[in-house]
Amino acid sequence: MSANKQLALVIDLNVCVGCHACVTSCKEWNTSGSAGPLTDLNAYGASPSGTFFNRVQTYEAGSFPNTQTVHFPKSCLHCEEPPCVPVCPTGASYKRKEDGIVLVDYDKCIGCSYCSWACPYGARELDEERQVMTKCTLCVDRIYSETLPESERKPACVLACPTSARIFGDVHDPESAASKAIEERGGYALMPEWETQPANHYLPRSIMETIDAARNDK
Amino acid sequence: MRPQFSIIFFTTLAGMAQGLLFFVALLNIEEPVLSAPFLSMLALPVSFILLSLGLVASFFHLGHPERAWRAAMMWRTSWLSREVIALPLVMALTAITFFFVISGMVPAWIWAALLISIFALWICTAKIYQCIRFIQEWSHPSTLSNFILLGLTSGGLLLEFLLMVWNGSNVPLGMSFISGANFILLFLALNLKLWIWRRNQKLKPKSNLASATGIKGNNIRQTSMGFMGGSFNTREFFHHQTDRVIGNIRKIILLMAYVGPMILLAFAMNSPNIVQIAVALLMHYIGLLAERWMFFAEANHPQNLYYQRVS
Repeated sequence: MSANKQLALVIDLNVCVGCHACVTSCKEWNTSGSAGPLTDLNAYGASPSGTFFNRVQTYEAGSFPNTQTVHFPKSCLHCEEPPCVPVCPTGASYKRKEDGIVLVDYDKCIGCSYCSWACPYGARELDEERQVMTKCTLCVDRIYSETLPESERKPACVLACPTSARIFGDVHDPESAASKAIEERGGYALMPEWETQPANHYLPRSIMETIDAARNDK
Repeated sequence: MRPQFSIIFFTTLAGMAQGLLFFVALLNIEEPVLSAPFLSMLALPVSFILLSLGLVASFFHLGHPERAWRAAMMWRTSWLSREVIALPLVMALTAITFFFVISGMVPAWIWAALLISIFALWICTAKIYQCIRFIQEWSHPSTLSNFILLGLTSGGLLLEFLLMVWNGSNVPLGMSFISGANFILLFLALNLKLWIWRRNQKLKPKSNLASATGIKGNNIRQTSMGFMGGSFNTREFFHHQTDRVIGNIRKIILLMAYVGPMILLAFAMNSPNIVQIAVALLMHYIGLLAERWMFFAEANHPQNLYYQRVS
């Protein structure tokens, strides 16, 4: 790990309720921000399709009666070793030295989709109308904004979350709330087997342990 | 992965041209085995046209073809960028060879440079796929061997056909020798393909829902991918065909790309006939299109773990 700043999201799977507020707020901000427009095709037709930077998925685990439902937000993980960046033939995909955000320069992207093949997480989406690769920017046009009130200089998804399931911060700074959450609550990375070192982390559900303990108490 | 027709045409057309140029250079590097008129009027122009068609096909892969020149920028890290440099290099060397041929004598170093550029292009093309470590079907040296071998088989068949067009069966090397060589190459390519298919079948995916989501507990399953419409993720990374279609295309590949041309070549070893060779070449090329289609279709991308249930 370098000493530089690495901004990231830490997502608490204990409290995500799967409301999709982060999905819609992300779309709202980014479609009209510097990353947009995130076009929707056939939006009111039989098979709509659109570009999103963030999705909330739902999983189940266990077998009845000991099952759990997990809502699982997924966006670009801003890997420390992003496999999508070196494969880009034009240099349109890059990782910022100053804060570790992985970005696409839409004016350089030739729309070859190769970076999306090189991302194991499916975090990149080619915008069908603009024919350039798009992805989560960590709301780079919000977090450094000088016109927004300081309290709003956070990614749109973080602000929208009603349960504060998303913690935004510098995961290289051991004093940040994000780093502390990872440290104290066993934050983990997705698909560690590919050694991409995702900057985004997930906080595992501890509620199942609580439920189990309650059951055993009876 | 979704088969990309632009890339299917590019890799097969350029591969055939590379195979043809390989044999032309190999036969002429020591002493001119193939005649200068054959090279200047048939072999080199045909190679150049095939490479050009491949180049044109590759542009259809891009969302912004007008920015294609930018793709040569990142050759330090990107195999795609290196390919974008290697292809025009092969084309330029083909043109330079052409001018040496019509001016009389081709120095050995020109042939050597052509040979090196041909292999450089093969390596770049194959490495584009091979370097993606989490597509386990592609991430293996057999990807490169397969691209080279099938370039040689299609280029060898094309050379045999062009030689027959040029001077019937009165060729310097003897048609049965070339038919025999092509037969052996096809046999090797067939065995490699069967080995690759067996390997793919036995592959154990390194990623699964547990590693993809980190959710603790057994029997993890997705109940919603988060949307009901389509997206880039649901289109780009899967072939959207049934198992039956895939099985039938495998049979077509075996028949058209390998077994059919091999039977025709076996007959051609005794009685060379231009129609046989033309049919073998055509069959082989159609088979190659299917083979390259399958190359994409059989590649499993781990991102599909996240896109399993529409709801």
